[in-house]
Amino acid sequence: MQDTGKNIIIAGVGGQGILLFSNLLSKYYMKLGYELKISDVIGLGQRGGGVESHFRYSNEPVLSPFIKAGDVDYLLSFEQTETLRYLHCLKDDGVIFSSNFELSTSSVNTRLEKDMPESKTELITKSGNKTFIIDLDENKSLDFDISKMMNIVMLAFYAEFRGYSHEEMIEIVKESVPAKFVEGNIKAYEKGAMIARAQLA
Amino acid sequence: MKKESKSSTMKMLNGNEAVARGAFEAGVKVASGFPGTPSTEVMDYTQQRYPDIYCEWSTNEKVGLEVAIGASFAGYRSFAVMKTVGLHVAADALGGAAGSQINGGLVLVVGDDVGRIAGDDYNDVRHYGNMFNIPVLEPSDSQEAKDLMIKAFEISEEYSTPVILKITSVICKTTSSVAIDENDTYKVKCRQKYSVSFSKVIMTTMMMNAKGSEHPKLTKCFNDFPAHIKRLAADSNDFEINRLELRGKKIGIITAGTPYFYTKEVLPDASILKLGMVMPLPENMIRELAAHVDQLYVIEDGHDIMEKNIKDLGISVIGKELFPKFPEMMRFTPDIIEEKLVPDAPKRILMEGIPFRLPVSCAGCSHLFISQILKKNKIKAAADVTCGLIGCFPHMESYSLQKCMGSSIALAHGYNVATDHKENFVAMIGDGGFWATGINGLMNLIFNDSQSTVIIVDNSCLAMTGGQHIASSEFGFNYKPENKLDIAKVCEAIGVKDIVTVDAYEFENLEKSILNAVNAKTNSIVIVKKPCVTKFKLPKSDIYHIDQDLCTQCRKCINIGCLAIESKKGKDGKVEIVINEDLCVGCGLCSTACKFDAIIL
Repeated sequence: MQDTGKNIIIAGVGGQGILLFSNLLSKYYMKLGYELKISDVIGLGQRGGGVESHFRYSNEPVLSPFIKAGDVDYLLSFEQTETLRYLHCLKDDGVIFSSNFELSTSSVNTRLEKDMPESKTELITKSGNKTFIIDLDENKSLDFDISKMMNIVMLAFYAEFRGYSHEEMIEIVKESVPAKFVEGNIKAYEKGAMIARAQLA
Repeated sequence: MKKESKSSTMKMLNGNEAVARGAFEAGVKVASGFPGTPSTEVMDYTQQRYPDIYCEWSTNEKVGLEVAIGASFAGYRSFAVMKTVGLHVAADALGGAAGSQINGGLVLVVGDDVGRIAGDDYNDVRHYGNMFNIPVLEPSDSQEAKDLMIKAFEISEEYSTPVILKITSVICKTTSSVAIDENDTYKVKCRQKYSVSFSKVIMTTMMMNAKGSEHPKLTKCFNDFPAHIKRLAADSNDFEINRLELRGKKIGIITAGTPYFYTKEVLPDASILKLGMVMPLPENMIRELAAHVDQLYVIEDGHDIMEKNIKDLGISVIGKELFPKFPEMMRFTPDIIEEKLVPDAPKRILMEGIPFRLPVSCAGCSHLFISQILKKNKIKAAADVTCGLIGCFPHMESYSLQKCMGSSIALAHGYNVATDHKENFVAMIGDGGFWATGINGLMNLIFNDSQSTVIIVDNSCLAMTGGQHIASSEFGFNYKPENKLDIAKVCEAIGVKDIVTVDAYEFENLEKSILNAVNAKTNSIVIVKKPCVTKFKLPKSDIYHIDQDLCTQCRKCINIGCLAIESKKGKDGKVEIVINEDLCVGCGLCSTACKFDAIIL
């Protein structure tokens, strides 16, 4: 059946390259001829705030820039506290892709709030939705800092899951990032595709 | 909505990019204004992409608008960009322009931060439309942002009025496709219809004297502004940018901006009046919709302004009684509309107990040093609108007073006058706030013989909005080294007796300088220098870490408010205070706060 479109929430914290991620993904869908609306909700101007991108592609004009809670097909999250904020937005058959990276929140750091007693990773996997956790420790190696390249790793993971052409996706990465970062990004992409193949097998 | 011609292609643009493109297509000559989230990038894109347009960041919004008014009188299309909070500063200039003769189209692009998405007060620019009787246009997506920017200039010239283009944080940050004609070339327009343009005060004074007089010296000064706006209101019933979509007879919705799309998605069968111009209202279209449906609703972001204006026409409409306004509702979402108008829709509930992210300063920010010194020495101080206002938040508690941009110097002066200068209440201000309006507070402080201390944070840019240039920056659209203003020299010229300049990272020296200034029985200024760590990317030095054997978890370091210091649960469930290696820049502030020497290189 032909894909008529999907609603995606991309979440994380400032500095994780979420806007680049949604930019790269938008280029892929534009090449396929889809209509798009991408709404970036960025918190207070300072670093470390939550970042949320509502990404919608469709073969018909997209209306609302925001996805209604309950209408999300895919939640792609770069930080696990942020993943929790959007679990209720997923469709019953919606899929979660989440890094287990965590940037502790300032309100917990300063004891204005208590942290959640449960493990956040467990709360995510218990949601009832199909879930893929990208584990930073498991995929860490001396020559590759996965936490700094999470956006490209996530792009490759998502492309593998959807059965998209890695060649085309890599071509978009090459076109979009500055020349000096191309090599590192391609390496991250290949690593991401590898992680995905291992988890999807 | 999309006007595609043969040579046009579809491009993905966000609202800010689309407005800049509209300025180019409208043949704008002059762009001015002041940075403010969410609309700052309108200017950035205009300057980067359309070199034919003269661009400047002005010293503040009022100056920016006055520059645009002058350019417009010269006959050239001009716009000023600012956020709504900035228009409060520029309101006097807008009042002067409203109702006066317009030669080249004059447009204010104003960013409304609906729902405090980017952290702002809950303002609504449309109040200025009501107050000054000027039209307000509001786009629903990027295509309309471009089209309405062009339309705004046409309306401004045809009806002799400044026009406000209201863009919201959602419009500014949403990317959607826009038809762009790549073959379009820049065509500047010049229209010199009037030889004079005076404020309403001058005009109405002349009008009184001119009763019965047809003397051309008097009539040339008079602009019949009420007639222009009446004509605009009548014509607006036929404007393409206002659109009546008659569908079902049960529910009728009057809406504008992105709420139009939320409504259309949630209520596909409802009849909708979609307004591209929200002021003045097209009365005939509203009556037609009202006659077509059983119940009329208004769905508008921000305050209940259209609702009141519709009710003033004697038309019954449901608005805030169903959709309560601030603080209950920050901004419209499709979810809110569904909850109220589609009662059987399933409810989705956010998980409880997810911790909130309070804003934190970037690691190495000079503001952290100042906040820390003020707190440590129990110095009472006022903060300004700057990245340093994070020091007001409860985890830091460095400041006890904070209001609007540029205010802190006058606030401290007022406090000190009222308390007979018995305690030196200090003002902290950023360089951006200082040049914007703070400098007025300083002049006032001097000639009223106040003995206050002012800390000026010189980080070489307007940090909070992303590092735009200011009068003391060493870069900028129109930068020339010889025109750079020097904060210390200007303060000296104004008459400040005691001025020192200190590097923020020299903690002891900075602390001593601030204490000296506070204790001096005269007016004094401490200029704290350190380029913004985000804009200028300081060279990375050795980073610090915490020796867990020495750490007592007293959390003095955490309460500095640095993003790099975290409280983390390890795999064994034990909480540790750690320094995030990716974020630490090695400024060393935390090591000065630790009493147990646990923070080491």
